[in-house]
Parts: sequence; structure tokens; C-alpha cells
Amino acid sequence: MEKVMTVNNVTKTYGKKGEKQFQALKGVSLSVDKGEFVAIMGTSGSGKTTLLNIMSTLDKPSSGEVTINGKNIAKLKKNQMADFRAKEIGFIFQDFNLLDNLTARENIALPLSLQGVKSSEIDSKVDKIAAKLNISEVLEKYPAAISGGQKQRVAAARALVHEPAILMADEPTGALDSKSSRALLDTMELLNEKDQVSILMVTHDPFSASFADRILFIRDGLIDEEIKRGGMKRQDFYKKLISQLSENAD
Amino acid sequence: MIFKLSMTGLKSRLKDYLVLFSGLSAASMIFYMFLTLAANPSFLKSSVAGQLTMQSTKFIFSFGIVLLAILTLVYLAYANSFLLSMRKRDYGMYMMLGAKSSKIGQLIFAETLVTGLLATGIGIVLGVGLTELVSALMVKQLGLTLAHFNPLYLPAVLWTLLFFVALFFLAASWNAVRLTKTTLINLLKEDQKPSKLKSRPVLRTIQAIAGVALMATGYWAMWHVSTLQLKAIPIALVTIVLGSFFIFDAFFVAVIDFLRKRHGFLYKGMRPYTLGQLKFRLHGYTRILSAISIMLALALGAITVGINFDNLKNAMTDVMYYDFVLVGKQKKLADKVEKIGTEEKVTYSYKADEKKGVLYVNKSEIDRTPLKIKMYNAASSDKKKAIDKEGQIYHTVKVTSKTLTGKQTTATIRNSAQAARLFPEDSSKGFVALSDAAFAKKKLTTKVIAFYKVEDFAKNNKKLLKLIDQEMQLFSKNSMTYGYLEFTKPVLYQQIAAMCSGFEFMGLFLGLSFLMMLASTLMFKILSAAASDKLRYKMLYKLGARNSVLKSAIRKEIAILFVAPAVLGSLDVLFGLKFFTLLLPDPYFRIWIPFLAFFLLYLVYYLVTVKLYQGIVLEETKQD
Repeated sequence: MEKVMTVNNVTKTYGKKGEKQFQALKGVSLSVDKGEFVAIMGTSGSGKTTLLNIMSTLDKPSSGEVTINGKNIAKLKKNQMADFRAKEIGFIFQDFNLLDNLTARENIALPLSLQGVKSSEIDSKVDKIAAKLNISEVLEKYPAAISGGQKQRVAAARALVHEPAILMADEPTGALDSKSSRALLDTMELLNEKDQVSILMVTHDPFSASFADRILFIRDGLIDEEIKRGGMKRQDFYKKLISQLSENAD
Repeated sequence: MIFKLSMTGLKSRLKDYLVLFSGLSAASMIFYMFLTLAANPSFLKSSVAGQLTMQSTKFIFSFGIVLLAILTLVYLAYANSFLLSMRKRDYGMYMMLGAKSSKIGQLIFAETLVTGLLATGIGIVLGVGLTELVSALMVKQLGLTLAHFNPLYLPAVLWTLLFFVALFFLAASWNAVRLTKTTLINLLKEDQKPSKLKSRPVLRTIQAIAGVALMATGYWAMWHVSTLQLKAIPIALVTIVLGSFFIFDAFFVAVIDFLRKRHGFLYKGMRPYTLGQLKFRLHGYTRILSAISIMLALALGAITVGINFDNLKNAMTDVMYYDFVLVGKQKKLADKVEKIGTEEKVTYSYKADEKKGVLYVNKSEIDRTPLKIKMYNAASSDKKKAIDKEGQIYHTVKVTSKTLTGKQTTATIRNSAQAARLFPEDSSKGFVALSDAAFAKKKLTTKVIAFYKVEDFAKNNKKLLKLIDQEMQLFSKNSMTYGYLEFTKPVLYQQIAAMCSGFEFMGLFLGLSFLMMLASTLMFKILSAAASDKLRYKMLYKLGARNSVLKSAIRKEIAILFVAPAVLGSLDVLFGLKFFTLLLPDPYFRIWIPFLAFFLLYLVYYLVTVKLYQGIVLEETKQD
């Protein structure tokens, strides 16, 4: 299976030499296959945000390697990193991170505009992804005028419009009610199954994680466990996950 | 404990505080600079002696002070909101930790007042330096003569201090009340509240059209000031104030909306963001941008008109043909005048019957080389009719024996001011032109007088003034001749030049103070939004916008906010100067000077604003 991302023995230490140092990541290794839906679970302080920041090129590892789509991102210069992020990575954040002074359409179009894509092409791509995510009718509205669920779908559209190698989601359902959460997760699952979108989701919510093919547990800066869904139904996978979590808690 | 917390908060935001602090200092510095001039009666008296009475000058300056005070008030309101936007979260934090809101209120009050007072103190010190620098620069560059002007002027120090203390006291009370009345959650989360914008496309279209129409009417009125006369002023005032408001509130937004619908234009790099941001900004900036465009026009106008008084100086001396007069045979002085280089020299002999008030001239002498004088082209005050083909409003008249003795022409000549006394002695009962023989027979002393026209009067004025001074020493102060010499060209030129210098200096000072205050206000208005823009730039960075792309987007966005009122203000000036055709020979003379000064000053403010704004919003994207 082709790997879309590999993380190899990544460490991250905060604090300068001579000062009190804190090791947030102590040698994390993982990989995501093309078309795979992976969830990373961990409690607060487990290092999952640090890991996500490094995987998404927002931060640099102290040591180790991160490869996305065959490119070692640790070796990229600042500008190359920005370009890389714009091309290869799609983001969904907990608080949507939509630009409130742009319409939904402009929000979705922005990544393409930044890459210098032709305007006619931008329009057709935006319309296509909007139809897929069921937000065509809110395209001309400002974020303040649409619901939370719609906002997150606009954010998802923005993350996917440039067809990135991988979609990274950071607690995507954190700010949504249960109905909108369910709808968003269904959509992500569909995108993953139908369009073979590779997804890496960071969450502490077992229900969200149960939509993934594989779940990695991060604790104290290390990945200490992994469970696979295999051919299991989502509901069964959820039960397995819950029992696993209660086992860990004991 | 709270005080300690506040100090650490201050330290952690040192950079933002420096911005605020320098801005407040700049305000008091400019205010002081203006006051040194406006509140200094000995300076005003000395420079405007003659033509204008003290009262009208006082009026101009009181008006200036009021405008500047209003401007300062607005400015401080923005600077204060910048301070609040900076501190809100910190105060929220202290309250969450259990600090009483009354305690926080005291803290805010003290902090605002202390910051303000320190800034004012520094501003005044800087103001003395700046005033020194600016006045020295003006004196050197423009050759102005300034009397009784001292950069350190105590009443100005006191007034500046008093004014700013009062303002900061108000600001401090306002901040204390406002922050303690805001709910804790809003203090902590206000940055994250989305901005809302009402869209009423039909109303906006009407407003946009009305804005353009109003501006056009205002410009038309100012352009036709010669036919509309004073009616043009109220028309222009109302239409331009309203028009500017509509232009910023609706017209520019309509243009942005139009551009946003053209996806071929819109989808280029950061353009969607820049245009979206501008639309939201313009909505909140309407008042300040329209005020800036109008004030800018006033400031530019003040500078242009001020500079033009220099032009007036030359125009006023055009009323005299001869540059120098020598009464009696003064061999030594005559040699000195000749040394300067004379273009023309005429000498007359005459006899004066001082008891009767009659002057006798030699007919053949005056007819051979007629005396030349300057006369106004038209009797009416209509300037248009007065300007001849050469663009002059005075023409040269040759005075012969006929002119001197003929009744009608004499009257006309008498009416033109400088011709009233062609000779030092009393000629109120008129002239008599005599033949050579009759002149010789007349039993009165023969007197001699010589008139000179020198090469390049403006350049040689100082030398001529010295010579006139020496000549005047030869006569007693109460003599007719002494009084006569006081009204010769070098002396008058000197007086008018001093007066014009005063006006020029005032215009430049007033204009510069205004420009600086305006640009500072705009700067703070932009900077006070920086805190809430931080999040937007962070998002853009995460989306993969390079830091350089973000920087250039900021440059463009701020440039548009600076340029838009500048363009409108410049148009206002260009049309508005038409008003002064009633007063000045050529109001558009040397118009590039104020525009250049304005451009340079504005450019500096623009660059500083961009740098500071980038420093604030791109703080978190600076990793390598």
C-alpha cells in the first residue's frame, strides 16, 4: 500500500539548552496509507496537538523525519513550507477558522486563489465541492449568517477544494451539536470511502474516532497502542473502542 | 499584587505600548508646536503688522486651535481604543483570578492617566525640539524672516499640559467605567466575535450615486466661485461634507462589491481577502476617512495659500516702478547704487513752494525723460478684467508735464496710492510746469531728485535697504523727506516680506500640524483593529499563505486606506483653491511644494503604520 505520510521517530523538546526543558514528543513513529482514515486519540497534554502541528508543517520537530507525499518536510525552508501546506494539506479546525469578512464562496476559493489557479477553474471547483458537501445555497453568505454545521462544512470544502494529499482535522466536531457532528463525520467517511481522501483526525472523542479505519493512542509523548477496525461495523468498533478505553483507565 | 500584575502585563506588551506611547507623544508634540505659534501674541503682532488687524489673526488661530483640539480628541479616542483593545484580555484575566472590578477600575484609571501624562511630558520636550527644527528649516529654505519667535514658549507648555491632562482624565474615567461594565466573558472573548455587516444594496446604490453627484456639485460651485461669489462657500461646504461621507460609505463599497463579482479579477492571490477586509473596514471607517479627506484639503489649502503670500509680496511691490530714490545730490550714495547695477536712472530738478503746497518742474526736462509710475489696470475690483495680456495687473504710465498739470489725469494719478507723493515736498495744490527760462527765474531753491531702477530688485533688496537707511540718516526724523523715504520700495518690500513670511509660516505650521495629526489618527484607527486581525492572519498562514504574501497584502490594504482619502482631499484642494482667486494673484503657484511635503510626510506615516501593523498581526507567523 502506498504511504501518503510517514512520521519517523519524531521528538520535540521545548525550552532552550541550559533551561528547564520539556519533551512533548519522545520519538513518535506512524504512517498513513493512501485513502486511509486514521484517528489519533489522546488526553490533554498527551502531545497530540504538538504532533499535529509538526505533521502539518506549522512547527518543526527537534529530531526525526516527517514525509508527506514523498517529501521530507523537515528539510523545507519557510516559504517552501507555506507552499507545501497550501498544496498538499487540507485543514479542518475545531473553531472552523473561517474568515468572517469573506463569503463562504470566497473562503473556499482562497486556497486556490493563493496558488494562482485560473478563475474559471476556481469557480467550477468551488461549485463541485459545495454540491458534494451540500452547501451550495449558502455560498454567497458570510460565515456569521450560517449555522455551525454549515460553517464546518464550508471549512471542509475549503480544506478539500485543492485536492490535498491529506486532510488533517483537529477536533472537527468539538464545536458542533450532536446532529451536525454526525452529519460531518458521515460526510468525512463518505469522502474517504468514495473519493479515497486520506484523513488524519486528532480527537479525544471516541464517537468521532469510531469513524476511522485505525486509531492510534498517544500518551506522554509516545504512541503506545493502536486498534484497527478491520471489517467491523462502526457501531461494533465504537463498542470495542469504549471497552479498550475503560481497560486503559483501569 | 494587582499593581505588580499590571506591571508584568505592561512589560509583556512593551512593543504595543511603545506604539501607543509614541503616538500619544506625537499628538502632544504637534499640539504644542501649533500652540507656540497660535498663543504667542508678540510673534503675531510683529509678523502681521499692517494689513491685518490682530483681531482677525486671532480669529484664524482660535479657529485653528478649535479644529486641532477636535482632531486631537478624535485621535485620542482611537489611541485609547487601541489601549483598551490591548488590555481587555489581561483585565479579564485578573478579574477571573478574583480581582474586584472596583480595583480593576482604579488600575485602569491610573494606568491610562500615567501613560498619558508621561507621553505628554515627553511630547512637549520633543515639541520644543521639533518647533526649533521646523522653524529653522523654514527660515532657511524659504528665506523667511521671523521676529519674536522662540520655540520654548511657557504658556504653550502650560496649555498643552492642561489640555492633555483634561483629555486623559476623561479617557481614564471612560476606560474605567467601560471595562468594569463589560461582562467578563466579553472581555476575554471579544476578539473572537464575528463582525457583522448589513447589506442594503438598493440604498447603497442610491447613496453611491448621490455621493458622486454631491461631490460634483461642490466642485462645480468652487470652480465657478467668480460667478457664484460668496454663495459658493455654503454650497461647497454642505455638498462636499455630505458627498465625502457617501463616497466612503457607499461609493467605494459599491466599487469593491463590483470587483468582488468579477471573479477573473478577484481570484488572484490574496485579493479575495484584501477586498473582503477593505469592505468591512470601510464600513467602520466612513467617518474618519471622510473627515480626513476634508481636513487634509484644509491643511493642504493652508500650506498652499501660505506659500502664496510669498507670491503676493512680489505682486505688491509691482505697484512701484522705481526701486530707489535719492533726494538731493548724494555723490557717495549714488556711487553705491550705481555699483549694484542700474537699469534706468532719471534725474529731475524742481522747486517747491512749501507754504503754498505747489511744486514747479522743468517742462522740457520731464517731457524729455518722463517719470514712470505703475497704475492698476482697471478701476473695478474685478480681478479678471484687470489682468492684461502679459498677465500683469499694473501697467506703466509715463508721467509728462501734461499728465502732471492736466486736471483729470492728475486726479487719477492721485488716487493711485503711490503716485500721491512723487516728490518729498507737499504738492497738494498741484504741479506747475515751467519753461527753462521761467524755471530758472523762479526765486526758490533748486532741488534735485534721482529715481533708479536696478537689476534684479528682489536679489538686491537687502543692499538697497541699507542704502535707504543711510540716506534716511541724513534727514531729521520729523522732516517731510524722512517720511517720504519710508515709503520707498525697499522699505515697503521689507515690511510686506515680513508680513508674508508670517503668513507663510503660519500656513505651513498650521498645515503641517494638521497633516501630522490626521496621519497619526488614521494610523491609530488602523492599528486599533490589529489585535482582532491577528487571528485572521494566523488562519491565512495555516492555509499556506507565505509570510511575504501576507506582508504584501497588508501593504496593499493599508495603502488603499491611506490613498483613498488622500485622493479625495487632493481633489478638494485643487478645486477649493479657486476660492482664493478672489484674494491672491495665482493660488496655484508652487502647488507642488505642499503636495510634495504632504506626500513625504504621509509616506513616512504609511510605512510606520505598515511596519507596526505587520509587527502586531504577523507575530505568530514568524517561525523559521
